[in-house]
Amino acid sequence: MLTSREQERYDRQIMIGEIGQEGQKKLMKSRVALAGAGGLGSPIALYLTAAGIGTIRIIDHDEVALSNLNRQILYWEEDIGKKKVDSAKRKLNHLNSTVKIETIGETITEDNVSQLVEGCEVLVDAMDNLSTRYILNRCAIEKELPFFHGAVNGFEGRAMTILPGKTACLRCMYRGPVPQEKFPVIGVTPGIIGIIQATEVIKYLLGIGKLLTNRLLLYDGLKITFNEFTVSRNPNCDHCGSGVRKE
Amino acid sequence: MPIKIHIHTTHRQHTHGQEVVSVEGSTVGECLNHLIKQYPGMEKALFAKKDRLLNHIEIYLNHASAYPNELAKPVKDGDEIHLVTMLAGG
Repeated sequence: MLTSREQERYDRQIMIGEIGQEGQKKLMKSRVALAGAGGLGSPIALYLTAAGIGTIRIIDHDEVALSNLNRQILYWEEDIGKKKVDSAKRKLNHLNSTVKIETIGETITEDNVSQLVEGCEVLVDAMDNLSTRYILNRCAIEKELPFFHGAVNGFEGRAMTILPGKTACLRCMYRGPVPQEKFPVIGVTPGIIGIIQATEVIKYLLGIGKLLTNRLLLYDGLKITFNEFTVSRNPNCDHCGSGVRKE
Repeated sequence: MPIKIHIHTTHRQHTHGQEVVSVEGSTVGECLNHLIKQYPGMEKALFAKKDRLLNHIEIYLNHASAYPNELAKPVKDGDEIHLVTMLAGG
């Protein structure tokens, strides 16, 4: 039973037929791991907090820098130099004090990733590099955690949802390592992609709609077009298939 | 009807701004070779060496991933190829 305050706070989304009171209760019991609290992580965290997710665990080792502020909308000038997870928690709890925000200010590695996401039921990719994305992808498959991918560059972005063991994963089309470079981006792009990821998380937790599985969504902000491409599980994938582990 | 190759935004500097280029060929690889004949700058944008695509290049044929062995995939008139680059930022 929702309290009168919860009923009032979430009234507009409870009105959605696919959500209702039962759906809202599901969201309020959910535990989400968010890897990265930057350009993608900011809108994801804000919208999941506004929607009333029960617990959001934010993992990010970084501190806020001036150059983050064009896109990482969780942070303001007063946050420069502070740990992102601390600033994020404060902002998110001002938005919705009933959401439990857990913070981990550590770098994600192959050695600690399993422990960092322990106890969460979904994992959201809001990273800024491919190598950590692959660490998350492998962990998600090993722990059978639904994994919500997003990435951006400039005005362009992409998103895909991975259900381990059932749908194509991030490594299914892997050809080899890609050099890490400083990437250009304007804040509206991770805004769009992060909100798509948050939408996918909410849909998954509620068990509604059609997920972005086996479908890679590409967004072109310069034209405002969305292109969808089908992808398939690769039986020889070195993460979700029988392939030998690659670099 | 020719085969259309959709050029990624970051590669259009090599195609004089063309977003779609018409090519001929019976495989994806032949189509890419025809593209490179028309726009030689595309070779370095797509290939690490002969017949070896750069790791960040993705190829979709009729809106489906052509991976693996993309270059050997057969194509027919009217098919559409999208050249896409992997994104890493967040």
